[in-house]
Amino acid sequence: MTTQTSTRALLVALPLATALATGASARDLTIVGFGGGYQDTAREHLFQAYAAHAGIGVTDDVYNGEMARIYAMVEAGDVTWDIVMVEAPDMVRGCEDGVFAPIDWSVVNADKLIPSGVHDCGVGATGFGVTVFYDTERSPEGPKDMADFWDIEQFPGMRSMRTGPRMSLEAALMADGVAREDVYTVLATPEGVDRAFAKLDEIKDHIVWWTAGAQPLQFVGSGEVEYAMAYTGRILRAIDEENMPYNMLWNTLIYSIDFWTVVEGSPHTEEAMRMIDWITDADQLRNQAAVWPISPANIEVNSDPEVQAANPGMVLNHADTGLFIDTEFWIEYGDDLEARFAAWAAN
Amino acid sequence: MDRNSRLAVLLVAPLLLLMIVGFVLPLGTTAFKAVDNPEVTAALPRTTAALGQWSGDGLPDEAVYAAFVEDLLSPQDNRVFGGLVRRLNFEQTGMRSIISGARRAAEGLQAPYSESLPALNAVWGEPEVWQLLQTHSNPYTATYLLRAMDLRMAADGSIIPVDPQQAIFRELFLRTFIISLWVTVFAVLLGYPTAWFLSTLRGRAEGLALLCVLVPFWISILVRSTAWFIVLQREGPINAALLATGVIDTPQAIIFTRPAVYLAMVHVLLPFQILPLLAVMKRIRPDYVRAAASLGARPWQQFLLVYLPMTMPGVAAGAVMVLMLSVGFYITPVLVGGLRDQMVSYYIAYFTNTSINLGMAAALSLLLLILTGLLVVAAARVLPGLNLGARV
Amino acid sequence: MMMAIRIFAVLVLVFLVSPIVVIFPLSFSSGEILTLPTPGWSLRWYEDFFTAGRWLEATRNSFVVGGFTMVIATTLGTLAAFGLNMARFPGKKTVLVILSLPMVVPVIVAASSMYVAFSAWGLTNTFTGLVIAHVIVAAPYVVITVLAAVQTLDMTLVRAALSLGATPVQAFREVVLPLILPGVIAGAVFAFATSFDELVIAIFLTGPGQFTLPRQMFAGLREMLSPTIAASAVIMVVLSVVLLLISEAARNYATRLQGGARQ
Repeated sequence: MTTQTSTRALLVALPLATALATGASARDLTIVGFGGGYQDTAREHLFQAYAAHAGIGVTDDVYNGEMARIYAMVEAGDVTWDIVMVEAPDMVRGCEDGVFAPIDWSVVNADKLIPSGVHDCGVGATGFGVTVFYDTERSPEGPKDMADFWDIEQFPGMRSMRTGPRMSLEAALMADGVAREDVYTVLATPEGVDRAFAKLDEIKDHIVWWTAGAQPLQFVGSGEVEYAMAYTGRILRAIDEENMPYNMLWNTLIYSIDFWTVVEGSPHTEEAMRMIDWITDADQLRNQAAVWPISPANIEVNSDPEVQAANPGMVLNHADTGLFIDTEFWIEYGDDLEARFAAWAAN
Repeated sequence: MDRNSRLAVLLVAPLLLLMIVGFVLPLGTTAFKAVDNPEVTAALPRTTAALGQWSGDGLPDEAVYAAFVEDLLSPQDNRVFGGLVRRLNFEQTGMRSIISGARRAAEGLQAPYSESLPALNAVWGEPEVWQLLQTHSNPYTATYLLRAMDLRMAADGSIIPVDPQQAIFRELFLRTFIISLWVTVFAVLLGYPTAWFLSTLRGRAEGLALLCVLVPFWISILVRSTAWFIVLQREGPINAALLATGVIDTPQAIIFTRPAVYLAMVHVLLPFQILPLLAVMKRIRPDYVRAAASLGARPWQQFLLVYLPMTMPGVAAGAVMVLMLSVGFYITPVLVGGLRDQMVSYYIAYFTNTSINLGMAAALSLLLLILTGLLVVAAARVLPGLNLGARV
Repeated sequence: MMMAIRIFAVLVLVFLVSPIVVIFPLSFSSGEILTLPTPGWSLRWYEDFFTAGRWLEATRNSFVVGGFTMVIATTLGTLAAFGLNMARFPGKKTVLVILSLPMVVPVIVAASSMYVAFSAWGLTNTFTGLVIAHVIVAAPYVVITVLAAVQTLDMTLVRAALSLGATPVQAFREVVLPLILPGVIAGAVFAFATSFDELVIAIFLTGPGQFTLPRQMFAGLREMLSPTIAASAVIMVVLSVVLLLISEAARNYATRLQGGARQ
């Protein structure tokens, strides 16, 4: 090879090699959530604000609650996510299974949180929920409640729901006329589970199942489905920022709290604890609440009448018409119901 | 070995080594994970050792109970217990809370434990739970492979079908095979006349027609599936065209249905059928068919008795390729199908990336691998010299 | 009858290209919804592609991973093809079986197995892991194409060069390389295309930091179905066609070369 060609080869190879090498270098603290408008505003007012405050690098990723990824990371001892937002039952199970590190409550101030936002391995982040919504231009006479959402005679067309038993079984029982406060009592019996699946059978042919939070919005937006259950934040954003003519049914709300957790074996564990404490402080959350209807587990912010008045879409404002997801129920029955749901949905 | 052979081995070695470490070893790991059963022994070493002495009749003695409590109290990593709990809960519903409850209460328990444990939760006073622990003291298990066929082992060791409400995999393998078979049939029916047409063309027309096959062949499966995803939408071009021409009067839901899966899969795999057929057809000299004609054979006889038999190797080569690829298809059904249109691949991904059950993922992988292996072996029997080197 | 078959065949050809053709006008649409006819024409979705960080970064990642895959797979594959062609050695059959495994094992099985093994070795969520996996699936095609070229190589030419005083290296560079180059190029293009198009392994092995273009498209299909997806699909189609043309040119060159040698 002449010197010229080898120099040229080197010139080509060098940037490639550096590009490869950067993948292996020390990484920023990585925080992972469910994406959407919540994460877009959190990125600015919580994550990057903390990065500036603490003088460290912070990047954020999006996932759809796939716990297997976290388990695999911990098992392999190759932890690439540090802080992860998880739903309550997954948090408690992950805590029992040792994939989330115990929260250092000497660093995180528990007094600022609502009691249900304090757990061995989780710090309450924000309330979240799903409701039924639809496009009022396509369907001027839309459903009024969960029973209507199930009524394919009166409201023909496709529906979209989140893949999995959690929230779907509750919705089915609500549609079947079970009172909110009785949903989990009924669901804890084998007959109740059968009843919920039988109710789901009624509309099985009319359901498109989603996994990512953006999908139901896209399905309704493109007319693929008429009615969908979607995360409230996503619906509100479409209404407020994109001026979509959507109507959401707060009486179909099914909600819970998401938690911040630290993945066991994270090389940034101490920093992660400090960051979680900082991003659950009132000042930061007020900044985020100014631009996004969060329902933080921080008492001072979520009970602030001004914040509540400015954010009619806060999940906790609608607690009286919503069904609070029973964490204990899903820890106890989750594995089974997931297996049964997978078999049911596949056949 | 002579010098030449040594050099040859040296040249092959780097790639071979990479293949063995990076591919064969992972496949081996998968096969092993399908029967691996380390969780119970890892979390309860003393209990499993003590249970080794137990006959399985009645209840185990105090030594087993004491060993179990000692295991619960040992300062084990939570992860080890997490593995145990998930493993047992997969075998039997409700084990999560039974084990976790015992672990939480272990410190306050008083000897004799054969009395205090059943007092805490009656299941500890029944033989079933101990039989379960004993069964899974074995470092290997057939659970995952059985479950992948909708079977399970009862407490007494007999093999029984799973609860019909949890049965999924037999149907799934059957569906995978049926979808693949139909895709293959469609590919042959569409591909054969097309390949024949291509083989009759010459010059510019041939080049252009060939391009119509080669371009999709070179475009990634994702891009082609994406194209279908877009085209099939309710407000997409197909519905728009059907509405405009008056074939339908309201837009139809096409995407997320079985027909959408067939349409996209046939489209993606059709070139794999056309190209080998074309290669065979181009080699057939027209003399044979002409000879048949001059001997008075009618056109359909010429086709059935002469042309078709001569082109069968092409049909078979393409069909094997299409069938083999269909069986392992993932992207296309995920994009354009609903949950009821998914094939085995979907559940391998599901158990690896979403649910936490690598054993199930491994068992399904192993069965899919065996299924594909059988297809390849069968194909090699029927078609010696089959070239599987086409583009995947 | 013949006419009917011809019409049928033309329809099948139309079926093969039409979904790909349809995405072209959609990608130039001025509207937000992917439907035809488009409300007007614009380049806004290409602008989005080339200005939104994630698409450009994914494209860059694809080229980096594809480039490395191409170089490594071509080198290893060419060496192996020479070795396989050179001599018999014990276990050669087994070697051939192992080298062709990635072509017959369903890609989902390969991906999930590699994911489990690679995560134990700390190779998931790294470019290195993705390149290794892509080399493994691409190299067998290089072996096949180069082997085909090497098998047609006339060894008397090499011996002649050697007897005329050429060193083995010279003989390789001056005689062998020009003859097998088309095969090597075809193999290299194939390796690059395999990596550039690959999605299933990327789904398992990469995190958002290593998203390749197909991986980003797959995420985009679920996260934000905008005509940018159509634009990126068009870009990938154009690239694939370029690769196809290069590989066809290499093949034509090889055919001419062999024709020339025979005369």
